[in-house]
Amino acid sequence: MELFLMTLTTGIMVGGIYALIALGWVLIYKCSGVLNLAMGELTLIGAYVSLSFYSMGIPFLLALLFSLIIGFILGILTERIFLDRLIGEPILTVIMVTVGLSFFFRGIVELIWGTDTRVFTPPVFPLEPIHIGPLIVGQVYLWSFVAAIILLCIFVVFFQYTRWGLAMQATADDEMAALSLGVSARFVYATAWAIAFMAAGVGGTLLGNINGLNISVGYLGLLVLPAVVLGGLNSVPGAIMGGIIIGVLQNLSGAYLDRYFPGGVKEIAPFVFMAVFLLFKPYGLWGWERIERV
Amino acid sequence: MAGEEPILKINNIEVKYHEVILVLKGVSIEVPKRSIVALLGANGAGKSTTLKAISGLLKHENGEVTDGSIEFMGERIDRLSAEKIAKMGIVQVIEGRRVFEHLTVEQNLKVGAHLRRDGRSIKEGLEMVYNYFPRLREKRNEIAGFVSGGEQQMTVVGRALMTNPKLILLDEPSMGLAPLLIHEIFNIITRLNREENISILLVEQNAKLALNVAPYAYVMENGRIVMDDTAERLRENPDIKDFYLGLTDVGGRKSFRDVKHYKRRKRWLT
Repeated sequence: MELFLMTLTTGIMVGGIYALIALGWVLIYKCSGVLNLAMGELTLIGAYVSLSFYSMGIPFLLALLFSLIIGFILGILTERIFLDRLIGEPILTVIMVTVGLSFFFRGIVELIWGTDTRVFTPPVFPLEPIHIGPLIVGQVYLWSFVAAIILLCIFVVFFQYTRWGLAMQATADDEMAALSLGVSARFVYATAWAIAFMAAGVGGTLLGNINGLNISVGYLGLLVLPAVVLGGLNSVPGAIMGGIIIGVLQNLSGAYLDRYFPGGVKEIAPFVFMAVFLLFKPYGLWGWERIERV
Repeated sequence: MAGEEPILKINNIEVKYHEVILVLKGVSIEVPKRSIVALLGANGAGKSTTLKAISGLLKHENGEVTDGSIEFMGERIDRLSAEKIAKMGIVQVIEGRRVFEHLTVEQNLKVGAHLRRDGRSIKEGLEMVYNYFPRLREKRNEIAGFVSGGEQQMTVVGRALMTNPKLILLDEPSMGLAPLLIHEIFNIITRLNREENISILLVEQNAKLALNVAPYAYVMENGRIVMDDTAERLRENPDIKDFYLGLTDVGGRKSFRDVKHYKRRKRWLT
């Protein structure tokens, strides 16, 4: 029982980070209908940027802030350089471009930072675990979770109440109508990419704090795909719930199934679950079904 | 028409889709300041395309104004992006009640206020819209995809109003609505024109309705303007009576048994 509770809490906390990355994914999909397969690499870049700043001796929060700023700039640049001219082209073309982007980014990361595992030194979060009732939780997990939740809240408020947040939601709903009201679709796309980059960067940084940082963190980013599909590709709450569910699932299967299927069942379980789940709910948990009025 | 410079002047435009399909073949329309002008015509005549050419949404659909010019308050706009045109004060209400389905009614209106930057002006705008459409105030927190058709139409007109427009391009506001609701909405449209000094270019299938609110109208067929006149004279025109108002020459109800109107329609096609 104790093992169960422990894996459950860890799962939820890692899930918070997945949720953050999933949010970036959903955002791009919502606004432009593009499945961004370079998401894993975005997490890598953000993580490495903040690691570099941190290694220079800059306080962690400041390093994180810098990586947010750089993520923002990179997001806008990516959209402007690679994707802007593809507006109006078939979606599949754009998706293939994101595949290309993922290799490109991966190459750049290897070029700049190499392939060795790097860790945040000195460790950002204290190593001794915290006791919450009967549970023992690593501080890394706890603080990562808190950070992820705070950021998620900020994003949700941004979408519901700010001018650009509303404009982004409107564009996702009906691009033509949004255009007729003077919303700039190009700006919306650029912002979506910028936010995706930022969210992924924070997610990557937090993941890097847990296990150290190497190229495989990028694959963890891809692991978010089932989270997104599970929640429904275009639902922000869905992405958050999906992320947490995947986190829990991953940790539970790691704890219980690894004995019977040794070697990496942790990585596959979410995909298996996703496939089975989609058989029953093809729109995901909160995906947009077409609104039919009665 | 008045001697004053018109707010919108379309000068013999030609519109092509995908660079080959010629949809408008020389359309000229003038909308005088503070007036309502109707654009009538059958399905596929090119009315909506004309509106999209003005608002710039055409480019979004791979269409292009290949000849002629569109002037708004003396400035050429046919090369500008939809966003710039919206900024200048032209807003199109797209046909078919295109609300942002997953946002609330009020959020819809707020997106309309996208170009207003300060919060006070947004509040004033909302107040104005709620004054014209009291029903929207009651529904403000409901998801727009689930309110009734009439309320959705009010939402999109209100949303257009939030952009603070000088010219509204209204595409078939009566589509699929109950007669009483249509009446209500058209009343508000006339009021908007009179009280807020907004010029309106109205596209309608329902000619009777349109000629009631618009003092001047154009008739389109096959991508051309085939007729334009004041509403009274159009109402008396035998062709209009026949095709659009459903009355025969004598003024009685039309019997569809002896229609041979395709022969007469031929006269318009050149």
